[in-house]
Amino acid sequence: MHSEYPPTLPAEYADIEFENNAQRLPLVLCLDTSSSMAGQPIQTLNNALMEWTRELHDDVSLSYSVEVAVVTFGGQGVAAWRGPQLLAPRAPVSPFVPAHTFRPPQLAAAGVTLMTEALELSMHIVAARKAELRASGLQYYRPQICLVTDGLPTDGTGHLTDSWHRLIPVLAEEQRARRFRLYAIGVGGITDMGEQVLQAFAPKFNARLQGFPFRELLQMMSASANAEQKGAGDEVFEKIFSQFKTQRPAWES
Amino acid sequence: MTGVDERESPWRIHGMSVEGYRHRRQGLPCQDACAYTVSASVAVLAVADGAGSRPRSEEGSRLAVELAAEQFARRSAAAAECHPGEAVHELLEDAFHDVSKMFLDATGADAPDFATTLTVVVLAPGWLGHLTVGDGFVVLRAGAEDGERQFHLLPQAMAASEYSNETVFLTSPDAARWVHTDCVSDDGIDGVLLSTDGLVQAALNRSGGGALSPNTSFVDAVFRSLDTVTDNTHEGLATLLRSDRLTALNADDKTLLRAVLRARP
Repeated sequence: MHSEYPPTLPAEYADIEFENNAQRLPLVLCLDTSSSMAGQPIQTLNNALMEWTRELHDDVSLSYSVEVAVVTFGGQGVAAWRGPQLLAPRAPVSPFVPAHTFRPPQLAAAGVTLMTEALELSMHIVAARKAELRASGLQYYRPQICLVTDGLPTDGTGHLTDSWHRLIPVLAEEQRARRFRLYAIGVGGITDMGEQVLQAFAPKFNARLQGFPFRELLQMMSASANAEQKGAGDEVFEKIFSQFKTQRPAWES
Repeated sequence: MTGVDERESPWRIHGMSVEGYRHRRQGLPCQDACAYTVSASVAVLAVADGAGSRPRSEEGSRLAVELAAEQFARRSAAAAECHPGEAVHELLEDAFHDVSKMFLDATGADAPDFATTLTVVVLAPGWLGHLTVGDGFVVLRAGAEDGERQFHLLPQAMAASEYSNETVFLTSPDAARWVHTDCVSDDGIDGVLLSTDGLVQAALNRSGGGALSPNTSFVDAVFRSLDTVTDNTHEGLATLLRSDRLTALNADDKTLLRAVLRARP
């Protein structure tokens, strides 16, 4: 679906007018862009986002349904992106872009790890998007939030903080109410303590991966979006996630 | 579908279920089904959407529509003098009870593996009966205003959750509580369309606040193509249902079963 629809409809149906009221699936990529991601990791992430975007455009079942928003925590503090465009804080613009028009931002790594605030922003934009969709009469699937980090939550000065504890009951309640699915993925040299934070955030859907397998990670998000559209049961999501967790990428020896 | 010559019926009926893009790509069968039965006096139309997450749902949807076509026709024939109103609701509920019982008898302890929605319309002289469990929908064509044909969406069963892909199934333990029935008495009805949720985005529009109404350009075209049957009527509908245009709105299986009143000679 790169271009306009091909004229494939039979003549008797050629005059049908369609609104794009595909059921929407909001998807937030909540990405660590702090200084520890500098160099190869952030480059790998940018490349993976480019390839994933191409795949999304080609996926006729996801391209009009999935809506992508990017949240980063790093150099700019916590930031929301509308496609390639960095949004000003509290800009009255939704960061969600339909997958078929999504273009990824070019991310750079610097700064501190405001993970708690980034997750709070992710939850906020999901809730706001749902309200918008409801107001415009569009249906939606259960949104997905994917947190990716190689570190530990810090405050604005880069010191470790335990402010993330305040999120645990909130996330537990949100998950119980099935307001979204949260995936929490540790990459690179994330520590045991970093892993414990992710386990607390997403008791079922957390992983600690060697290296920076962003490509596989984004493919897992698409697989999960597909399962969501099919109305799959929780066991299907757990299976997709465990396959993702246990795969051994070629570069990992 | 019955021993009766379909041409004796005042209704011309046509429809199909086609596998959606996702199932086509994964080599999975179509989990939707539709069936109908006609006699000189009564026509019964049924559509069903097997649950994507259940292993035998394509058998479930097929079984549901076949049982519904049979049982609703049997009950309706036996109550030929039925008047519009409470008696029709009772007839529909009784027929649904028969279908559920036979469905559960046939599937036994594995019934949840066969989970499916079910939407049925009975066209009888003087009334139209509608019963639905799950998220199927029905659009009627009746009357005209200022020369424009008018289309009406029948009320749907109540939504079961915030997310529309989570619905109620024939096999749900409390399905009877979620069953919705209608009786419509309107001599102007000359078109009836049944569908599963795969066509919601194409066939219906939503206003702010979520109120649904028929997408006039879609339903009008679908009825008109059956008003005047050609050699391409079947192929044309199949092409429409499989088109990228519809897939982009919804990649699920699609079902469209339509009936139009034959032109009086």
